[in-house]
Amino acid sequence: MDTTSRQITISDIFRFLAQSMRYPDAEWFNDHFCSVLLTLLDELHWQKDREELVSAKACAKNFLEDVQIEHTRLFINAIPHVVAAPYASVHDKGDGTLYGKIAEQTKKFYREKGFALTKENDLPDHLVYELEFLALLAKDDPEGQKIFLTTLFTPWFEVFRSKVLEEAHHPYYRVVVNLIVFFTREEL
Amino acid sequence: MSLKVTRRKFLQTASLAAASVPLAKVVSAETGFVRDSFTPSGSFAGTQTVTGGVCEMCFWRCQLVGKVRDKKLVKLEGNPKSIDNGKSICARGNAGIKLLYDPDRLKFPLKNVGERGKPVWKQISWQEALDECGSKLKAVQEKYGSHGIAVFPHGASAKYPMDFFEKVVGTHNVSEASFFQCRGIRDSAYMATFATAPGESVDMPNAKAILLIGCHFGENVHVSHVKAYLKGLENGAKLIVVDPRYSASAAKSHIWVQIKPGTDTAFLLAVMNYLMEKDKYDKKFIAAHCVGFAEFKKGISHASLDWAAKICDVPAKQIQEVAELLAANAPNVSIHPGRHVSWHGNDFQRMRAQACLTAILGAIGVKGGFVKAKGVKVKGISWPMGEEGGEHNLRLLADKHHYAPPGTPTELIRDACISGKPYPIKGCVIWGQNPMQTIPGQQRTIAAMKQMDFVMCVDVMPTDITMYADILLPEACYLERYDYIKTGTQWNFADRHQQYIAPRMPLVDAMFERKDEVWITNEIAKRMGYGDKIPVNSLEEKINRELAGVNLSIEQLKKEDGIHIQDGKDPYGVEEDFEVLLYNEDLEDNGYPAVPTYIATEEVPKGFSRLVYGRSPVHTFNRSQNNVWLHNAMPVNPVWLNDEIARKMGLQEGDEVGLVNSEGVMSSSKTVVKVTPGIRKDTVYLAHGYGSRNPLLTVGVNAGVDDQELISRLVIDPETGCNGMRNNFVKFVKDGKVLDIPA
Repeated sequence: MDTTSRQITISDIFRFLAQSMRYPDAEWFNDHFCSVLLTLLDELHWQKDREELVSAKACAKNFLEDVQIEHTRLFINAIPHVVAAPYASVHDKGDGTLYGKIAEQTKKFYREKGFALTKENDLPDHLVYELEFLALLAKDDPEGQKIFLTTLFTPWFEVFRSKVLEEAHHPYYRVVVNLIVFFTREEL
Repeated sequence: MSLKVTRRKFLQTASLAAASVPLAKVVSAETGFVRDSFTPSGSFAGTQTVTGGVCEMCFWRCQLVGKVRDKKLVKLEGNPKSIDNGKSICARGNAGIKLLYDPDRLKFPLKNVGERGKPVWKQISWQEALDECGSKLKAVQEKYGSHGIAVFPHGASAKYPMDFFEKVVGTHNVSEASFFQCRGIRDSAYMATFATAPGESVDMPNAKAILLIGCHFGENVHVSHVKAYLKGLENGAKLIVVDPRYSASAAKSHIWVQIKPGTDTAFLLAVMNYLMEKDKYDKKFIAAHCVGFAEFKKGISHASLDWAAKICDVPAKQIQEVAELLAANAPNVSIHPGRHVSWHGNDFQRMRAQACLTAILGAIGVKGGFVKAKGVKVKGISWPMGEEGGEHNLRLLADKHHYAPPGTPTELIRDACISGKPYPIKGCVIWGQNPMQTIPGQQRTIAAMKQMDFVMCVDVMPTDITMYADILLPEACYLERYDYIKTGTQWNFADRHQQYIAPRMPLVDAMFERKDEVWITNEIAKRMGYGDKIPVNSLEEKINRELAGVNLSIEQLKKEDGIHIQDGKDPYGVEEDFEVLLYNEDLEDNGYPAVPTYIATEEVPKGFSRLVYGRSPVHTFNRSQNNVWLHNAMPVNPVWLNDEIARKMGLQEGDEVGLVNSEGVMSSSKTVVKVTPGIRKDTVYLAHGYGSRNPLLTVGVNAGVDDQELISRLVIDPETGCNGMRNNFVKFVKDGKVLDIPA
């Protein structure tokens, strides 16, 4: 495989992972999406994860709603508490706030690479944005991607990931965060 | 997870992968990024000062500026142009940033797919949320009538929706905690005496003496008010503090009256009776402005110093000393009206007594006395009045609480909810209020919520009551929206008379899917069939139209750095027709005492202590309990216990304890003991606003003890229907063992 096609694939994967972490709604979280996710797990030979997902889907009265509830509980507001807010600054060194220092540093990094958020008031350190940004870097800036992963992404994501793995009730987000680890850790 | 394929190996077979895993086809076409011009390292956008902020960490509403760097609010400061708080803001004001960026804040509309009290939340669209709110409220209205909907509002953002439900939908069942669990008694009692609600309108900077009944400035911090108080002390005012506890104010006092809780009215009657017996009252003022002096004098003639001393458990000589000090400095004395006054269920009489004392000292309209500022009036724009009559007004149906503040007494609403009589209440709108921690008798609140057909909450934080919502809507906070127009004057009447107008303007844009009250209310109104009644299309339009009434606009205010200042008026003097009803015949006609009367409260049972509560300087009730900075400043609310009692009980400073009340209600969480000689032996004290039981508040949950949980004995002030909340008695619980309090 040549370098160009490899980079495109990494980029696609980051985009896919970013999509996977958006709030699930019927527009995209459908059978087609799920079949692609299952195929990806097949390709990776992650049979156990695949089976867990297939089983969860088969047992669910409403698979979409199950994942929506899990997303709300894990990432938005929940009893007993939101498990893992998907923002770097909640987890990285700060005092658990939104828009902490790392968020500003992240925004600055985007700018230095020539990018800005479409919604400029959004929090720049949301996991979805960071994955989308990795997808952009993957196209033509592997060095920048490496720096971003090392300095801004991995430190907080590790904390985030362990919280999700510890407390997720539904296999979907366990699988997705493991995929993110898989594709970002080996990038370093 | 089995890592049978490495990433490297996977990518090496990417062509196969790309064919069989069409990733690109299942992701959205757009990302959250756009190409931007390159920003070299080190040229990060500078910090701007954004004006127009008006604080809402408490109701005082100091004027703010925000330091904003690249769309992020990094610091809040007082607006240097302010003639109110000036450059100063309090700890809570500073910590507003931590509210803005609190990760626990509500972000998206949520639907409860679990049960009330044990919610399972699911994010839903605004469309779905509003459709559900509109249809469910409409269904309640059609089945039970408009009065089948109860509304519990609080704060600046709740006014517009409250007006919609009250005026347009037509329910009387609106109950504001700021009235029925706080200051409503004060306002009603002064209205029944002076025909004006007093606010906190005493001219403390220019007073020769200040009398505080239970006010604890320093722990209760409102910037310009504290400035006024301190200026008075700096200028030499003598300070009298009546409080069972050695509060921050007591620590600055010339006379500290360590009164037995619940007996303040007896104290005030004795002071007034003494002044009249000794001929030390303002005869000229009484002749010119007071009605019923003879009846009043006769009505309180029993209140000797010895009589009061026995009731109040303070020396007669000290009561005399207070009276003499007030007389010596009259009329330039500030008898502070107080703010949170719903204490013992006999509070209307105490408030009347305070107002009467102010009058007989002639301390009205004079330097240092009761003086209302002459601020500018900005007329509000709201919903048109509907046609709902009074036939479903619970207060009128009950024919009691004839001096209730605006709205309906909370207990009447809650009674109707639980009993279904005189009619069912099946829909509930809670907007910015947390009835779980503002209204005593939590189990009754829970029972009321559980029987509803529909409950919706709008808030910025997931407070305890939100656990009982079916739909929970996220509101933009005070730093993210246009809103309330703050008006006032310079805080010291000795300075040049000026007026100011300061509308709240956003310092940053609202994040996530948070919306303001006008947008949310209008959308619900449309869905309930009231689209034609909508008075304004946006909050910005509302503020602009209101400002137009005083020839201003948002654009103009922005040019003026957020605050318009104009010449003011001298506030001193008394209108010729100003009337003080020392003896109020209407009160008597309605079955209440016509002259201020002491009504005894229940004695503390053996083995217990009376629970009183107050403010922490770093918290605003329960609203700020999840704020990280404020939490770190005072993580729990230590329970004050008299040192001699502590010694007898074997308790030491810092011991961890819970509390149990005389009804058997145990605190859900614990706090620590503060051992001090600065509290009476029969009384324990907690700062209010701690011990949330909503785990969504990850900082505030179970931090300290929730005093409200222990206030389960309900006492109602007969004139107003407001709650009395200091008639509950507690014991300590340590290591699972209940400890009697040997007072």
